[in-house]
Amino acid sequence: MSAPPPTVKVPFSIYRYEPGRDRSPRYQEYTLDLAPHTPLLTALLRIRAEIDPTLSIRYSCRSAICGSCAMQVNSKSRLACETPVGPELEKHGRIVVEPMRNQPVVRDLVVDQSPFWTQYTKVEPHLKLDPRRPMPEGAPNPMTPAEVERFYETPRCIACAACFSACPAVEVDPEFPGPMALAKLYRYTVDPRDQAHQERLLRIQPGGLWLCLRCHLCTESCPKDVRPSERIRDLKEMAIAVQGATEQGSRHAFYFKENLKDGGLLNEMKLARQTYGLFGLVKELPQGVRIMRKKPEMRKKPHPIEGADEVRKIYDALDAKEAPK
Amino acid sequence: MRRHEVVVVGAGLAGQRAALAAVQAGREVAIVSKLHPLRSHSGAAQGGINAAIGKDDSIDAHTYDTVKGSDYLGDQDAIEFFCREAGPIVLEMEHFGTIFTRAPDGTLAQRPFGGAGFPRTVYAADRTGLALLQALWERLGTERFTLYDEWDLTTVVVRDGRVQGIIAFDRKTGEFEEIAAKSVVLATGPAGRIYGRTTNAHSCTGDGPAVAYDAGVLLKDMEFVQFHPTALLETSILITEGARGEGGILKNAQGERFMSRYAPRVLELASRDVVSRAIVTEVLEGRGFAGPYGSYVHLELMHLGKEKIESRLQEICDYARHFAGIDPVTQPIPIYPAQHYMMGGIGTNIQGQTSVAGLFAAGEAACVSLHGANRLGGNSLMETLVFGKQAGISAAEYAAKAPAPVLHATDLAAAADPLRAWSSRKDGEDPSALRLEMQQTMDRYVGIFRNEADLLEGLKRIRAIKARFDRVRVVDQSRVYNLNLEEAIEVGHMLDLAEVIIVGAYARTESRGAHSRTDFPKRDDARWMKHTMAAKGPEGPRLSYSPVTYTRWEPKERVY
Repeated sequence: MSAPPPTVKVPFSIYRYEPGRDRSPRYQEYTLDLAPHTPLLTALLRIRAEIDPTLSIRYSCRSAICGSCAMQVNSKSRLACETPVGPELEKHGRIVVEPMRNQPVVRDLVVDQSPFWTQYTKVEPHLKLDPRRPMPEGAPNPMTPAEVERFYETPRCIACAACFSACPAVEVDPEFPGPMALAKLYRYTVDPRDQAHQERLLRIQPGGLWLCLRCHLCTESCPKDVRPSERIRDLKEMAIAVQGATEQGSRHAFYFKENLKDGGLLNEMKLARQTYGLFGLVKELPQGVRIMRKKPEMRKKPHPIEGADEVRKIYDALDAKEAPK
Repeated sequence: MRRHEVVVVGAGLAGQRAALAAVQAGREVAIVSKLHPLRSHSGAAQGGINAAIGKDDSIDAHTYDTVKGSDYLGDQDAIEFFCREAGPIVLEMEHFGTIFTRAPDGTLAQRPFGGAGFPRTVYAADRTGLALLQALWERLGTERFTLYDEWDLTTVVVRDGRVQGIIAFDRKTGEFEEIAAKSVVLATGPAGRIYGRTTNAHSCTGDGPAVAYDAGVLLKDMEFVQFHPTALLETSILITEGARGEGGILKNAQGERFMSRYAPRVLELASRDVVSRAIVTEVLEGRGFAGPYGSYVHLELMHLGKEKIESRLQEICDYARHFAGIDPVTQPIPIYPAQHYMMGGIGTNIQGQTSVAGLFAAGEAACVSLHGANRLGGNSLMETLVFGKQAGISAAEYAAKAPAPVLHATDLAAAADPLRAWSSRKDGEDPSALRLEMQQTMDRYVGIFRNEADLLEGLKRIRAIKARFDRVRVVDQSRVYNLNLEEAIEVGHMLDLAEVIIVGAYARTESRGAHSRTDFPKRDDARWMKHTMAAKGPEGPRLSYSPVTYTRWEPKERVY
């Protein structure tokens, strides 16, 4: 064997908390000598084995396939097993490790994942069949490679919940299914074997699909490149195709586009009326007044911007391109 | 006390399939698992699942390949049954929603695998286990059952010659609890963490076989340990056999495609024991590379081209990039064999029945014996489903007729108190230090090539660690998610199994499949065409032997 690789001193600051036993969370400092490519999970296991066997973590495969060890690493949702310590150290000077967000802490870095699993179950993640159209007997359902491509990367999801932890919509609305569940819904909604595509798209709309803020933090945090936010976008398109822009959320999206197409500029008054409808608008009146006070520019009558024609041309070209679908 | 009709321990593919079968048979079912079902190690299986559904393939060909792969130690009735069931099972999994890779005509694509005469391995890119695990869990989710996830098995209660239930430890509360059951299926998966160099997950600690052994159940063929030829060097993370199935080649430090010397006809696609021995031989004879993480050889994929590598071998591309800093599109991957699979396990028949009434087992925790002395790639995923289903059916049938189980108040105390006592010691042995020493011992003395002196030394050391384990100490005093207590329980389990492996390997004075004795290099059918059965005795394992079942295939010399 040749010489071992050079190591660096890595300072860790690790969240410690056992609800019911500790009065409040605290951060415990540890320092290890590690080769820069060492995965964070290996470092945490070394802390357990060599320094402190009371540190609680959830882990199993150490190869980014079981989805157990997602946590907040320097404030980002990451899998500990595939996050090398070197780059974190370079960027932040130390490594702050905290439990995932949007799920209650059980102990230290271990969270109770029931909110996550509940949302996953709620999208009915299984093939829904029509008894009048049975599966082929003694044969697989035919599925072309092109049909398999339509799943994109959703089959790679390992349910690690990194996206659920990163999602601000989950944080404000516990009813929001979250990125993983919606990516799972997408996976079943494009499955040629599933016979409830329409029903799925209708069911997910109220209080579900349209709460996504399009911040893309889920896609950024996903260790498997599932790109939940892109699949949520696809679901929105499919939902409008099935039902038209009838939901508050879909109306907002639809008229947002129409608005821009019209004059190249968002007419927020008009958009609000189109989204909420006249009656709905009355309900939102106090909010509207508050906004008007804070943003006087909204009181001005909007007019088409310079180059509005160009904007319309772009939309027309895009619409023409999508038409054949 | 909790009560259920059928309790399945383990929620990987075998456990889930058993649970589904038992629910479908009308029984009330609970699943107890140390991991959430979707985190099971089945999900780490990469390459694929074997079924002879190809146009030119046949059930007979699959049977013959498996018999030959087993080095004639597999029970041929079990292998025939398995190969017949494989086709319907793969179709069932497709109907459950598995997203398999497809051929251009829309049928299931199949790739070549080691030791197989035809491209027989159905796959989902290189994440076949994950694809199956998702589909089965999501199908099972439409049925009614109770799930105890993150519960650790500590005891199987056997009284009056039959199973009465289990005792398990709820990691979230720290409580030991009794779960009475009319029948129990053990599907707890691998035990690879007995070794340091293993492809297995940290959770693969052989809990089912160890607990069954403790309850007087017979373990079978435990000395047969498979080493996967291609694991990443430092971490032993698996690089699928599919990489060679897709055309990957192995080269030594002299740039030579050395498999031509060991398996001139099929080269890299010889069975795993053959390829692993070839790699170790190359290294021992000075033709390996050397680096800070030990000696190695190269797995080359570059000639396959970026597109094929990134589509068919997407996950391992990520593994090589993330965990070894190697881009397989442009660089060879440094690999070395690592422990991968236990051919042995809880002895069962084709129905999953163990040596104790009401107790069934399936999957890697069990030994039917399908794989004999060496498992073929792609057969283990299929095994979990074929025999998981059988065990579930059998457990349901048994439970339908069994009397109500009887657990005494003393059962819980007898099982839990000694484990709790570990936490009150002021001084004692650190479980993670014992685990490390056990792993180093097994890596060094009970690896790919074995001999009498090494095995005796290994046994001596394992027994010394076992003696120290009697004074094991749990430092963590919390009841919630106490991993320190869990690791102590796991080390206890693994030390028992390590001893059984060594005693069986020492007794078996021949070389067969994955069991290679340099002091007995030939297969000895006259003396050793038999299964090793191990029972727990006061002084360690007591061995007996049982015959191998033959149907149509006479033992021949095994050449690839």
